[in-house]
Amino acid sequence: MRAREVYVSGFGLVAPMALDAATLFERICRKQSCVREHPRFKALGFNNSAAGFIDDTQWQRIAAGFGGNAALHPRQSVLAEYVARQALERAGLTPADFAHSRSGLFLGANKYCADSHDLQRLSRCMDEAGRVDLDRLLDSPAASSATFTRRVDQQTQHLADRLGIRDHISTHSDACAAGTMAIGSAYRAIERGEIDLAICGAVELMANELPYYMFNSLGALCQADLPASEQSRPFMPDRSGFVLSEGSAMVILESAEHAQRRKAAPLGRVLGYANVCEAQKMTSSSRDGSKYEECMEAAIEDAGLLRSAVQHVNTHGTSTQANDSCEALALQRLFGGCQDFMTFTANKSAIGHSLAGSGAIEAVLSLMSLRDGVLLPTLNYDPERAEYPSLKFLSEPVRQPISVVMSNSFGFGGINSSLVLGRA
Amino acid sequence: MNRAIYLNAAAVLNVAGSECTDLLGTPCAAQPLAFDAQRQAFALPTPRLASDLFDRKIQRSVEPQGLRLLHCAARLAPALSALQLPASRIALTAAIPEVDAPSPCWDAVQAIIEQPQKQLSQLLANTPPLHALTLLNSSVMAYVAEALNCHGPMGGFCSQDNAGLDALIEACQQIGERHADAALVVSSSPNLTPALYLREPDLASEPIFGEGAAALLLASTPAPGAVHAVRIAGFARGYSTDPQRSVAVGRRVIDQVLSVEKLRVGDVEHIVGNCADGQVMKLLEAFPREIRSTRAMTGELGASGLLTEVALTLHMSCEVAATPGYTLLVSHTRAGHWGALLLASETMEKHA
Repeated sequence: MRAREVYVSGFGLVAPMALDAATLFERICRKQSCVREHPRFKALGFNNSAAGFIDDTQWQRIAAGFGGNAALHPRQSVLAEYVARQALERAGLTPADFAHSRSGLFLGANKYCADSHDLQRLSRCMDEAGRVDLDRLLDSPAASSATFTRRVDQQTQHLADRLGIRDHISTHSDACAAGTMAIGSAYRAIERGEIDLAICGAVELMANELPYYMFNSLGALCQADLPASEQSRPFMPDRSGFVLSEGSAMVILESAEHAQRRKAAPLGRVLGYANVCEAQKMTSSSRDGSKYEECMEAAIEDAGLLRSAVQHVNTHGTSTQANDSCEALALQRLFGGCQDFMTFTANKSAIGHSLAGSGAIEAVLSLMSLRDGVLLPTLNYDPERAEYPSLKFLSEPVRQPISVVMSNSFGFGGINSSLVLGRA
Repeated sequence: MNRAIYLNAAAVLNVAGSECTDLLGTPCAAQPLAFDAQRQAFALPTPRLASDLFDRKIQRSVEPQGLRLLHCAARLAPALSALQLPASRIALTAAIPEVDAPSPCWDAVQAIIEQPQKQLSQLLANTPPLHALTLLNSSVMAYVAEALNCHGPMGGFCSQDNAGLDALIEACQQIGERHADAALVVSSSPNLTPALYLREPDLASEPIFGEGAAALLLASTPAPGAVHAVRIAGFARGYSTDPQRSVAVGRRVIDQVLSVEKLRVGDVEHIVGNCADGQVMKLLEAFPREIRSTRAMTGELGASGLLTEVALTLHMSCEVAATPGYTLLVSHTRAGHWGALLLASETMEKHA
């Protein structure tokens, strides 16, 4: 028994083609991919224009709900507010509850990345010697949203102000593990009694030109000649890289006492968490998966469980050769004979890889599986051709009550993190 | 905290120099910026990394703020090695300011100017693969982890000026909760680029920025053979952007950290804080001695400011004439974060 139990009482989510968690969950259950051709990537003549991206129609809906003129704010802040509002509503909370409780905000994010329009605008404000004319840039009509005024923690700050967060705000910059680490950090802060209420997750908007080029130059992006929806193929032998995506998800965590005091209906629990640095190699893990295994084992230990208690794993499953093979080996070794009684899923098969956002999005989908007793399929997965047949990835949704799920995020640079989530 | 945490070693790099003792010298004058002669700042040449610890490609591919951080981290390698800990027991936390867009963005802007007729896709076609990693703050942390063999818990923070406090507290918690026995805490100031100044439309309230970095080594035991030890006695934090509430939050944070050792402000030997911050000074007006700050020596160092002050406290506490006592460090960012850190300087008992 833990000193303080940590409940999940709400969540919010926006992903490509889904403005809320229920829509995304249903899409994946129906085996509908959120990955499609990105019109700007196509216009720019990229080799492969597949991406998961929040489109203009979605942005209009997101902006319409914003408390103020959304055009004057960075999109990250507008998105953060939209997702947070969903989470608060689901939890039956208002901003005043954060202002009157010992509260915290923990958000994962990567660098703000300029798109081609931003870069063109900036280039017009440079002189012959390549120096930026600050006055000219600041005087330009678009100055309020100028690229280089944006900060990686802008959405954290924005949300903290909107919610009146009292005690702890932090922005986690742990690459693809940032969302999971933000949730894990909030869990720890509640567990050790520093705060009673937290909103945590991640916001990531990197489905644009520069990240595409950067990751493509690393050979990390899928270049297969397949329809967009079929490109992300975690754990399949013919996987060839990840599909760039974006999105945001947040969860409300609170101490059991806080939840009981306000008669909140919990949606799930955070049971354990671990993060381990390996720094084996910048873009790949220890080939035998031993470091991933250590991380998962530490999270199970933190939860005070035996590994046989884990019934379902929401894998990191990026669809790159290296990540998936490391993770598969780690899962096989860690769970051994227990694998027969477990199921696995890889949400990136449907959404693509939303980097910092991925861990938070996958945590929300895991909580929904726990709540609804529905296990999500892995898209583009064919058990007949499975490379790791002992890992039971589902190719169809399955209705099956479960009590414990592990959700993994393994970031570039060897930042590994695992969350153990439980039914309410 | 259920376990003592000691400050074993520190390294700094700023315009005053690369030794803590340099911070006690005479301040030099801020200089006009290369891209804006009307503004002054404390710029720093990009340091060269030790080739025995870091691959040469890192020098070419990492941004200056990352190189400063790596330069400081490398200097803690001997102290870390002296602890003789397994890599899995060494945590790494980082305060990475990330104030500007990554270098590739600036490269792209330059390319657009030089070849405006070309499509962006053509301009970026030859982007070096390593530039991809500058998109992710984790890359710099990973270089530290690889070079200094830190394979314990890890955490990166980018809450601008407050990131140093976040990283330091995270390191303390990892050791305090026995997830690690030692921790490297690394930090860097933002680069002095136009981006930094675009955030400061009000010239009057703009601080004089400086470039710098700082790194600390924390451990559950004092440094081997140390005569003086600095223990991290407590920490606290709060947040408020409401001017009406801010001072109350700051007071609560200071009271909280002092209560750990049942102290009052008057019991503290030294206080470190920004003397130009009216709210900080109001809270500490009862303190009878001068409030210390290195800002005049270094400029505003952002994410590495607090760690630079901690490094100087360690240096001063280890001087021969140093007497045991407490140092209270108070941080207050313009974004509304409050933080307080209580350091206890102790003389180690000599055992036969």
